[in-house]
Amino acid sequence: MVRFLEALRKRSGFANELLRNRKILAGIVIFLGMSLISVAGSYLAPYNPMRLGTFPPEMPPSFPAHILGTDSIGRDLLFLLFISILNSLQIGLAVAGFGTIFGLLVGLISAYSGGFTDSALSTVTDIALVVPMLPVLILVSSMIRVVEISTMILILIIFSWAWTSRTIRAQTLSLKERDFVYMAKLSGMGRFEIVFREITPNMISYVGVNFFGTCFWAITAEAGLSFLGLGPQTTTTLGNMLYWAQNYSSIYKGLWWAWATPIVAISVILVALYLVNIGLDEVANPKLARQRL
Amino acid sequence: MAKRLAAYVVVLFAATLINFVIPRLIPGDPIRVVIARLEMRGRQGFSEDLVLQYTHMFGLDKDLFTQFTNYMTQMLRGNLGLSISWFPSSVQEVIGRALPWTLYLMFTSVIISWVIGNVLGAIIGWQRDSKLARAILPAALVLGTIPYYMLAISLAFFFAYTIPLFPATGSSSIGIIWHGISLGYIADLIWHSVLPVLSIVISSVGWWMMSMKAMIANVLGEDYIMLARAKGMKTSVILRKYALRNALLPQVTGLAMTIGQTMSGALLTEVVFAYPGLGWLLYNAITNLDYPVIQGVVLLIIFTISTAVLLMDLLYPIIDPRIRYGEK
Repeated sequence: MVRFLEALRKRSGFANELLRNRKILAGIVIFLGMSLISVAGSYLAPYNPMRLGTFPPEMPPSFPAHILGTDSIGRDLLFLLFISILNSLQIGLAVAGFGTIFGLLVGLISAYSGGFTDSALSTVTDIALVVPMLPVLILVSSMIRVVEISTMILILIIFSWAWTSRTIRAQTLSLKERDFVYMAKLSGMGRFEIVFREITPNMISYVGVNFFGTCFWAITAEAGLSFLGLGPQTTTTLGNMLYWAQNYSSIYKGLWWAWATPIVAISVILVALYLVNIGLDEVANPKLARQRL
Repeated sequence: MAKRLAAYVVVLFAATLINFVIPRLIPGDPIRVVIARLEMRGRQGFSEDLVLQYTHMFGLDKDLFTQFTNYMTQMLRGNLGLSISWFPSSVQEVIGRALPWTLYLMFTSVIISWVIGNVLGAIIGWQRDSKLARAILPAALVLGTIPYYMLAISLAFFFAYTIPLFPATGSSSIGIIWHGISLGYIADLIWHSVLPVLSIVISSVGWWMMSMKAMIANVLGEDYIMLARAKGMKTSVILRKYALRNALLPQVTGLAMTIGQTMSGALLTEVVFAYPGLGWLLYNAITNLDYPVIQGVVLLIIFTISTAVLLMDLLYPIIDPRIRYGEK
């Protein structure tokens, strides 16, 4: 792991600069570590961890049989956790990926075309920013029963791009007037080329901040929806685990392992993402770094 | 400004439109779907006549345009239909009973966390390298990233189950009957709301603290602070009269930006404590597939938050004369 990051560090100057920031390094190590353990763990499962009643229910953690205990419907929580982490991360990353690309495109088009296109796209963006997300998501996912993870991803993507689009638009508007863009124009570069070869590379850190921010948002939103019982039904996510823990009132039965497991996992993931995000912010705005937020 | 108002109207219209369109996109006769659900729960005796009667009663035999105009007029009159699981109560009755609890939770916790967050933020911003700042910042960072309801679950476990200091569920003790406002009743209400409020406060206080700290740091760089210092004014006076005053303004308007998040958080926290507000109502409506209630609650929330944001936007230039719309 460390050796891999070391190699990556030597490879490129930018990655080097990023990984020298301890917050980014810590966040990425935690994030990658959790996903690797979960991938390995879910392959090692000797049985289908989703099946009900495989084990006696509500057993406290014991080594080595059930390291995290079993839940109220007789599933081993450790293996359930591996699958949940993978599914939640999958949702987070997919939504962040597509949402950021979409937001980036809308922001770029908006800033570069100006006129009617710009004001139309900006208005849509503003509206999407004003609308309270969780209630709308509840409305949509309660009417379209979310069964698969892909449905969940799709719904979240629709609501994920507005913030990215707004920051990218503002950033593009300020970059557009810089000297190097004029130089590119004078040297005969086309609009398309300028946008993708001159402007976008200069916003990589903003894109990164938005990517991890969207990932953070998507994982939280999924957890919230699933906690209300609106999550994917064919598989399990971290929010789903919490829903079952709540549904079988594990708090008041003293089954702390049933609710603490998903909460700790989500918290660790969110803190890791947050660390990466403020780290990226420090690299992008060196002024901030000096203040040591 | 006109743009803001237009956006507000569009948001509300879009929300009601989604509410109208999506159920009609789903294949199947809604009346039969509801009846099938009720039969699954063991209610018998639905005849074919009844289906026709209900289809006519809900206006589902008319064309889409008539349906839409009917829907909009009912909506504008504040008529949201009948609840399925609390039949024969109407949706607005069910919501009316739940709404005060959510408002109470929200206002109490927002005020408490705003005050504590701003005070702590001002102290930390003023003395950036003090021990207090170093101790509080990482804690606030971690607590701030954890969603409200997860904190609520931990609090419920520690202070309602392990050490039963506070009640685990509900908004008042069973057996306490409403005899008008008495001291005992109020104490009971507060006692029941301690944990829900605390979980919202703990997870939102960090946000206020960080933004206040940044604000103070900004203000401290201004020339008039330098001048005040050069004049030999007392530090406490500078902080109170110059720095705080200017830093507090954006914090007031920041309230509008966080209201949506706080409300969403309050909804989920209520589920943990079975607190009888909108969140608990919503949770039960989802479990019972009570669509009219789900839609009513969600529309009300969207309406409330959008209105709050709009009001704050309108008040912004009045509170802070430095900001004017359309003069960029």
